[in-house]
Amino acid sequence: MIEQLKQQIERIKAQGATYVDARWYPFEESNQLVMLNGNLKNASASRESGVGIRVLYQGAWGFSASSDLGDLGALFDKALDNARVAAERVTFPIRLAEKDAVQATFSSPCEVNPFEVPLADKVAFLKEMDDKLKQEGVFLRFSRLNFIRKQIVFVDSEGSEIEKLITEVFAGLEVDGKDAQGMTHERKFTLGQQGKPTRGWESIDRQLFAQNAERIVRELKEMLVADDCPKEDRSVILLPGIMFLQTHETIGHALELDRILGYELAFAGGSFVTLDDFGKLRYGSPKLTARANATVPNSPGSFGFDDDGIPAKDTVLIDKGVLVGAITGRQMVEEANARARKPIFDGSGGANRATSFYRVPIERMTNINIDPGTDGTLDDIVARTEKGIVLDGERSWSIGSNREQFHFATDIGWLVDEGKVTRVVKNATYKGDTLKFWNSLSAVGDESTWELKFVDNCGKGQPNQVMQLGHGVPVCRFDNVRIGE
Amino acid sequence: MKERILETLRDLRAYALDRGYEIVLDYHEEDSYLMRFANSAISLNTNEHLIRLEITAFAGRKRASYELITDLDKINEMKQGVDVAAEMVQHAQPLEYDPTIPAFAASFADESAYDEDLAQLANAEKLAYFNRAVEGLETDDLQLSGIFSSGETIAAQSNTRSEHTQFWRASDAQVNAVLAHATLKWEVIAEQSAQCKADLDPEPLRRDLAYLLERYQTETAQQIPLGRYDIVFGSSAIADMLNFMNWIGFSGGSMKRGFSMLAEDKVGKKVFSDKITLVDDPDQIATFPFKRDFTGIERKPFPLFERGIFKGFVWFQDDADEFGARPTGHTVMHKSLALHGGEVDVASLQALVGMPRQKDLLYIPFLHYMNIVNPSKGVITASSRFGALLLKKDGSLVVPYNVRLTQSLLDIFSDKVAWLSRQTVACNTSMSYGARNPTAIRVPKFMCVEGLEISHSNSSY
Ligand SMILES: [Zn+2]
Repeated sequence: MIEQLKQQIERIKAQGATYVDARWYPFEESNQLVMLNGNLKNASASRESGVGIRVLYQGAWGFSASSDLGDLGALFDKALDNARVAAERVTFPIRLAEKDAVQATFSSPCEVNPFEVPLADKVAFLKEMDDKLKQEGVFLRFSRLNFIRKQIVFVDSEGSEIEKLITEVFAGLEVDGKDAQGMTHERKFTLGQQGKPTRGWESIDRQLFAQNAERIVRELKEMLVADDCPKEDRSVILLPGIMFLQTHETIGHALELDRILGYELAFAGGSFVTLDDFGKLRYGSPKLTARANATVPNSPGSFGFDDDGIPAKDTVLIDKGVLVGAITGRQMVEEANARARKPIFDGSGGANRATSFYRVPIERMTNINIDPGTDGTLDDIVARTEKGIVLDGERSWSIGSNREQFHFATDIGWLVDEGKVTRVVKNATYKGDTLKFWNSLSAVGDESTWELKFVDNCGKGQPNQVMQLGHGVPVCRFDNVRIGE
Repeated sequence: MKERILETLRDLRAYALDRGYEIVLDYHEEDSYLMRFANSAISLNTNEHLIRLEITAFAGRKRASYELITDLDKINEMKQGVDVAAEMVQHAQPLEYDPTIPAFAASFADESAYDEDLAQLANAEKLAYFNRAVEGLETDDLQLSGIFSSGETIAAQSNTRSEHTQFWRASDAQVNAVLAHATLKWEVIAEQSAQCKADLDPEPLRRDLAYLLERYQTETAQQIPLGRYDIVFGSSAIADMLNFMNWIGFSGGSMKRGFSMLAEDKVGKKVFSDKITLVDDPDQIATFPFKRDFTGIERKPFPLFERGIFKGFVWFQDDADEFGARPTGHTVMHKSLALHGGEVDVASLQALVGMPRQKDLLYIPFLHYMNIVNPSKGVITASSRFGALLLKKDGSLVVPYNVRLTQSLLDIFSDKVAWLSRQTVACNTSMSYGARNPTAIRVPKFMCVEGLEISHSNSSY
């Protein structure tokens, strides 16, 4: 098969294409299980295979994909035809940043292949968790498992040949309850890295889940008898369970270079960041250092090589508060440097990924992380907060089209007054303007507060692509934030 | 093609029956074309032809499903898929209720929403359409973005309980054209939904874009003060809110799970303005309707709100099984929602701007990134985008920076509704996640709601 792909790539190049690549998925399988109130609502699996072809012709992309490998020639021709049409409307002829040809393999760390674990064992785990969640005051209980395993073979016209085997495990628990007014509240636990070196079935640690099941039930019950979150300005102390989403939405998406260059305007939106901002914009307070780090061991945001064939990189995005980098692939860095008339980016950041063989790679987050700080533990931060609220759990998120402002609702809040946690509140929300918010960052927790969270459902692009990635974040405090609205 | 698909489903059914399996087969085929524009260029031109087969196996109260992306030539692969589903179900856990296995009383095929000319639209025609829609409007500063998404979708079902099959095919196109200022960052949009080729007409897009551009180029954007406004929502914004209501409003399953703003005791009560009549109406061809649901139930117009009175919840088969309700023919990929028009003649944005007014009106054509803050209260939040205007009572006009609205749908559709336009439009709400699923909601072009609070007002784009 690889030889056939190489022959087709050569054939299309001979017809005038400047670059051609093929991503062949010998298989991609998934397995999803959802137990809801003791009912195994979803026990589904899927399997697909196919190939996606990308052709660059006269400065324009053409793409074509099929699960039917019977006529590879026709598939490559279609991609070339699509590129020919696109070449009729080119404003900035696409160029790709230089790269080294790579022959390599990558396997994500996995001890026990979840696809070799009997379904009955997975169901038994969900049942065990469901039993733990089944307590008075819990109206709805969810337990979820989601496994993905895929093999990707990448071949391009520049001599790269990369084979990847990726295994993903996502899992979570949720409990919902109703308060005296009949209003629903929720509390969740989602499996993150928890410092584990591998992410196969072995990461489904029953003890860890049992502890968290007990915790979320307890916290839900506290919330059901709590008062509403007040509507006022306070310091917000974000635990990793909401800090990851704040980072995702207002650093991650805002710094995707294709968004900055206007390639997502028709749907997802743009970014308040401009090319002039790199090296100057004070994005956050000096306590903020953020990076796109695809080299973190064992995370969905670490995948060895991106779909341009670029090896994983650790790129600083914000250095002590100043914007210095973006989430980039080969095409966009060339265009950005040309438009800015100066070299802002030194080659691709290795963040171009597609969700499946039938989608085209675009800039995606890797692990968008915040470096731990020097403001101690969560207790230390709380002790030094006069009037604040500790927030955790993502309940709702809505962000302006240029990522310039946001509104988040969280599962739970704990009011902090004069350095002490006073009481739980329900219906907690907070909102803000992105730059003002990050510049109000007044405390960053140490290593003890840092957690790597997994995301299995980031959506972007048209046609839409759901992507898996990670966020390693510490506890952070921001001042003068409007809550309860 | 149709016969070959149904023959394949019959083969698979026979294979399952031979082995004593109880299965349901859901076949989905798409031929999707997407021409995407950005920075005034075609940034992506792609097509995908994909066949998905979902096999759901039952064994008493146990249920499991297996999906594969396949090809009609690969009958053995599909049969293996049937075996996988049948094996999986052995290890599933019994549900606490009896899941219904559909049995079709008769075969049914519906291709009324299919137009071959639209499904097979050539690249050159799409490009010509777009070129006309923005002819003379692009400059170095004003750049085109947008999509021309078109194609066809086939859904077919079969099961081991009956020999009959169901088949549905539709063609669709979703067009949106955005002109954005490269440095000032404002954006304006025009959209169109098509079920057949005759629905495609670039002229209204060009007219709307030209009109908005003139406003945006002559006025300087301003941060508008926080507070209460009379808001005129455009069709996209209305459709988006109805989409959310579809989720946290009248779904029986959502209600039972505490994820709805409506309780059981609201049935038969007035919950909205008497100007609000919302129907799930499979006679609306522009909504790519299903005339039968996937369990074989005939779908007729289903009133959701009649003059503000809540008529009843819709029940998906599995929710009906779990909660002991009667299914309402809503086990479908999408509904055919239609919000009836009102009394006021406002056919275009120009007409809206020209209407005499006693108070300022904030026009919001589009709501970006809507999400649910509190499902029990129906509270949603979203930001304005794409061509908002503040129409001052003195007849002048202000271009506002984007604003955020955090409000309950119960409030937005309450007696605060001042008027709805008589003219309606099919608003394309298709998402491009996963399998192709063309959806549209018929809505009035404009809906005016009094005294809604703006809780956040941007100081820039
Ligand atoms: Zn995302």
